[in-house]
Amino acid sequence: MDISVLQTLASRNLWGAITPEILLGGLALVLLVIELLFPKEHARIVPVATLVGLVTILGGVVFNAPSAYLKQETFNGLLLHSHGGQVMRVFFLLSAIMVCVIARVSLAKQSLPRVEFYHIVLVVTAAMMLLAQSNHLVLFFVALETVTIGLYILVSYYRTSLTLEAGLKYLVMGALSSSLMLFGIVLLYGVAGNPVLPAHTAQSMHYGQLAAFLAANPHNFLASIGIVLVLAGVAFKIGAFPFQIWVPDVYQGAPTPVTAFLAVSSKAVGFTALLALAGTVFASYAWLVAPVLTFFAATTLLFGNFAALTQHNVKRLIGLSGVSHAGFLLLGVAAVSRAPMAVGAIYFYLFAYLLASFAVFGVMAHLAGANDADQELDHYAGLAKDRPFLALVLALGLGSLAGIPPLVGFMGKLFIFIAAFQAGLYGLLAIAVIGVVVSIYYYFGWIKAAFFETWGKSADTPAHPERTSVDFVTGFALSALALAVVVLGFYQGPLGTWLSGR
Amino acid sequence: MMTASLNAYVIVSAVLFAIGFFGVLVRRNTLIVFMSLELMLIASTLALVAFSRVNGTMDGNVFVFFILTVAAAEVAVGLAIIVALFRRRHTVQIDQLDTLKN
Repeated sequence: MDISVLQTLASRNLWGAITPEILLGGLALVLLVIELLFPKEHARIVPVATLVGLVTILGGVVFNAPSAYLKQETFNGLLLHSHGGQVMRVFFLLSAIMVCVIARVSLAKQSLPRVEFYHIVLVVTAAMMLLAQSNHLVLFFVALETVTIGLYILVSYYRTSLTLEAGLKYLVMGALSSSLMLFGIVLLYGVAGNPVLPAHTAQSMHYGQLAAFLAANPHNFLASIGIVLVLAGVAFKIGAFPFQIWVPDVYQGAPTPVTAFLAVSSKAVGFTALLALAGTVFASYAWLVAPVLTFFAATTLLFGNFAALTQHNVKRLIGLSGVSHAGFLLLGVAAVSRAPMAVGAIYFYLFAYLLASFAVFGVMAHLAGANDADQELDHYAGLAKDRPFLALVLALGLGSLAGIPPLVGFMGKLFIFIAAFQAGLYGLLAIAVIGVVVSIYYYFGWIKAAFFETWGKSADTPAHPERTSVDFVTGFALSALALAVVVLGFYQGPLGTWLSGR
Repeated sequence: MMTASLNAYVIVSAVLFAIGFFGVLVRRNTLIVFMSLELMLIASTLALVAFSRVNGTMDGNVFVFFILTVAAAEVAVGLAIIVALFRRRHTVQIDQLDTLKN
């Protein structure tokens, strides 16, 4: 066979475009085989294999960042390999690595099968990476459902009464939001393909074709209902205000690594979808989308911050503070149409949120007892004296989430605020600043509990759960996160350029 | 032969969707809530098939298969969670599943 034949075949082989996702799926299957082949005593090999595989795939994606398929549509327009898609691939892989690191700590306290946990995390991550690059409503729906159904299982993974209750609540709410979104998609499909209307299209679920149709019919009634339903479905996933009711309960009941996965990856999935849909496909319906986004951003910022003030359970606290972070990101999404730099600002904010959140969740996993849902602020008393390393990581993570300069969270908020200022969203900006001030109060309550309160050994206060010691891998990961939180606050450098690039 | 118009199909599916939606919000038994969720998915499927026929594109019909697959996966996971929860609590009434409180 001639070499040119092979080259032609290789150039037409579109599967190369989704190599990282295929490798993730393969790794998930390999884990099951490893579990079968090795005896129980070597169970530790599963998380190690997962981490090694994930780091390898991440390295491959980073070194191939300007991939050969960039700005091309593959698989008949199902996928569009944009720069943002590459950024989110790296984001979801980083997030999966950190979830596995935390899961090693957290799962050690339970007597449960381990391999399925890592298996589902890998499959869900692959679906998230596909979703970040989807260019077609069918792929969007199927990938989103793969993510959601995987998360139903993960949320109820510990099979205690509380965890299952959280799983059921997440199931009902998640399925409700998926149905709303699906009905919206169906309406958009039906309207955009209607032969009576101008600019109707045969491929009415393809983003580009749908956008062209919407631009030609800017005030269609059914299409606007469809758009509102799809936006409502996405708002459920990110926990925006009227749809945030599931957040505190599910975050409290879910195992700590899964709470981290929900808080970071699942939220980021919602925002990639929102950027692709609200920012580009629905752009010609700005008369409808802009007020909806403004409403979501304002109410989410206010609700998240004020509801977090009264919480004593740290998982509920971080859940509601996560709602307020969704508000800041929504502020960025609302600014996208008039200030294009907002896209880069949102990516930067997501990365800053990832670093700080996983630092905090990593510390939480070490402090949790066998009952994972019971993690109170009081349990942090005396942490600075007892475990200075964990206390330092916690303080840096929480400081960054609160937006204290010079940490990376401050820069993330600053970029979003600059974008909102350029877009002229002064009212929302004022609400966001109030939100920042309120958030400093409850984040510092947490830091105060860790640094300035000592453990009272009186009879009526129950002892805090056993604090796990930090092993090498976790210690390395937490130090890296803490270092990144500090360094990226001073110097964004190539990361900032890459995130804001096109 | 009398054929129903597109409007009729869309209205029926919207009504089915609304029944499912309010069923989820109002009913207190988890299994009924779960059935209502499935009803919402099926309502979307009906509208999809009707649109697909009127528009003359097959995308909608193919999408139905994906929706059915997703619904089956959701039922499998959902019923497993409900059964496991029933074993711990001996109830599936939503009012009594309120342990997660601050």
